[in-house]
Amino acid sequence: MLTYIARRLLTLIPMVIVISFLIYLGLELTPGDAVSHMVPPDARSMMDEERLQALRESLGLGKPFIVRYWIWITGVMQGEFGYSLAGGVPISKIFLDRLPATLELSFAALLISTVLGSILGTISALTRGSLTDQSLTVVGMLGVSIPEFFFGLVAILVFALNLNWFPVGGRILPGYDSFWDRLPHLVMPAMVLSIMMTAGVMRYARSSMLDALSRDFIRTARSKGMPEWRVNILHGFRVALTPVIVLIGFRLPVLIGGSVIIEQVFQWPGIGKEFVSAVRSQDYPLVMMVALFSVLAVLIASLIVDLLTAIIDPRVRLGE
Amino acid sequence: MTDANATRPRTRRDAQFDKIRDREAALAGTRQHTARFMSKFLNNRLAVVGFVIFAVICLMSLFAPLIAQHDPMSPNLRAIAKPPSAEHWFGTDKTGRDVFARVLYGGRVSILVGLGSALLSAIIGVIIGVYSGYVGGWLDWIAMRISEIFMSFPQIILVLLLVAILGQSLLNLIVIFTLTGWGGIYRMARARMLSIREEEYVQALRSFGLGPARIAYKHMLPNALGPIMVNITLSTAAFILQEAGLSFLGLGVPLSIPTWGNILNAAQDLRVLEQNWWIWLPVGATISLFVLSVNFIGDGLRDATDPSQQG
Repeated sequence: MLTYIARRLLTLIPMVIVISFLIYLGLELTPGDAVSHMVPPDARSMMDEERLQALRESLGLGKPFIVRYWIWITGVMQGEFGYSLAGGVPISKIFLDRLPATLELSFAALLISTVLGSILGTISALTRGSLTDQSLTVVGMLGVSIPEFFFGLVAILVFALNLNWFPVGGRILPGYDSFWDRLPHLVMPAMVLSIMMTAGVMRYARSSMLDALSRDFIRTARSKGMPEWRVNILHGFRVALTPVIVLIGFRLPVLIGGSVIIEQVFQWPGIGKEFVSAVRSQDYPLVMMVALFSVLAVLIASLIVDLLTAIIDPRVRLGE
Repeated sequence: MTDANATRPRTRRDAQFDKIRDREAALAGTRQHTARFMSKFLNNRLAVVGFVIFAVICLMSLFAPLIAQHDPMSPNLRAIAKPPSAEHWFGTDKTGRDVFARVLYGGRVSILVGLGSALLSAIIGVIIGVYSGYVGGWLDWIAMRISEIFMSFPQIILVLLLVAILGQSLLNLIVIFTLTGWGGIYRMARARMLSIREEEYVQALRSFGLGPARIAYKHMLPNALGPIMVNITLSTAAFILQEAGLSFLGLGVPLSIPTWGNILNAAQDLRVLEQNWWIWLPVGATISLFVLSVNFIGDGLRDATDPSQQG
């Protein structure tokens, strides 16, 4: 097990280095450098070329690309993420402010889609071929076909503007910040964000459950005279659930992708919304840093999934 | 062939007979195969419904100049945000442009982006995947590492990152989608090649002394086409959804060009959302219907081409 973990880590680290290098290269390719963002245009016209050059020198911009990359990456590793171009706010502060909102939304959506998806998928598998199964399949197809933000718009129109059940958007009203005050704000974005994933989990759970139900131990359990519901729940569902949990780890990118757009629709003050406005205003340092951290999140999630699979299934760690 | 007949000098007649025989064999095979494929596809009711919807929307976009009576770009200040009427079927938007015409013309760009990016990324993915999957070695290793790098980004983050670097334009968007999308189809083509690499006919071809490129592209690729077709269909659907999402954020195709996503962009304004439903609801429904139909086609194709996926 330890050698397996070591091997996985050894493949992960070069990956992170290459990706961080590419991201820094991307930052380099964008028009303008730090000086052109720091010096306002009117002040710039007054400065002569020599002073600009001196400023570049003092910031270390005269050094070769590789050296600057090294300085940047060691800084990032020590927690110096740099500053946003908009207002010069430290990027670490933006992360601290915005991350809780994104995590709250993502975990809520993850919870909803896991529970709902595996229940619906199991029902679908148990009633295979029936009307319920077929209509669940079509509903699942609708779930992956309708754009999430369109769901969001319709939900805002119906449940917020017409019925007035939930607020239109935002996360916290000033002065009300307990969990129960925030809950109404969370309901719609979390539900909408979970739709696409619920459909995916449902599809996967259905085939996984069908697979489990055709195994020998199910027949053994039935032949012992065990009631049907106990066979399904105790033996089928439990076995079918393992690959579904693995799937959820792989779904993290989908979740991050969805939350970028959904946060915009519901004006949810998370990292995704910040990222979109950074791309819009060409706030490159912030864009790069969010990209780097989302890659890290995905890689770490896939590492955890791999380790979990290795723990559950010994064939994985011995196979390679 | 030439080696086997080396004892008898080959005449021109021989070559002609060979050609005719080859043509017959090829034709017989495809006809039978196509018939089985078609009957399976047609048996799947959802796939047929999907194909009809897909065809209708594509044709309507293609013949947009004949169907729409209004120009999608020119504002009409005497008809601002008017609800649907006989004159304007889907009403008009906030600058008095005909929404129906915009949906039709927008379909052209959106479908172009979706289908174009899917085909381009399939071409790149298949060319690399088929060859490197068959040959293996350092080429395979490098291609695999590159695709791993692309795939460890959440798709939309990578797309937005590239939008920030390259800038916003229609062509850039197709390039970006292709760059971010080839990895999936590459991996699939490669995996497929790995599984048929050791089959007997491949070994036979190798022992005949055929070059690796010829074996990979001419003889093995046709056996991997089914899953590739399914993948192209499903990635078309995904790209259309992504274009819509990006344009909705205002970061996709520049707002001056009507696309389905750009039309929906207007609904970010709560007043439009509440009072002018005709500006955004029909477009959203069109996107959903189109993507749904493409997904149904993809499912039908999968059932028709892949015997292991039934049930």
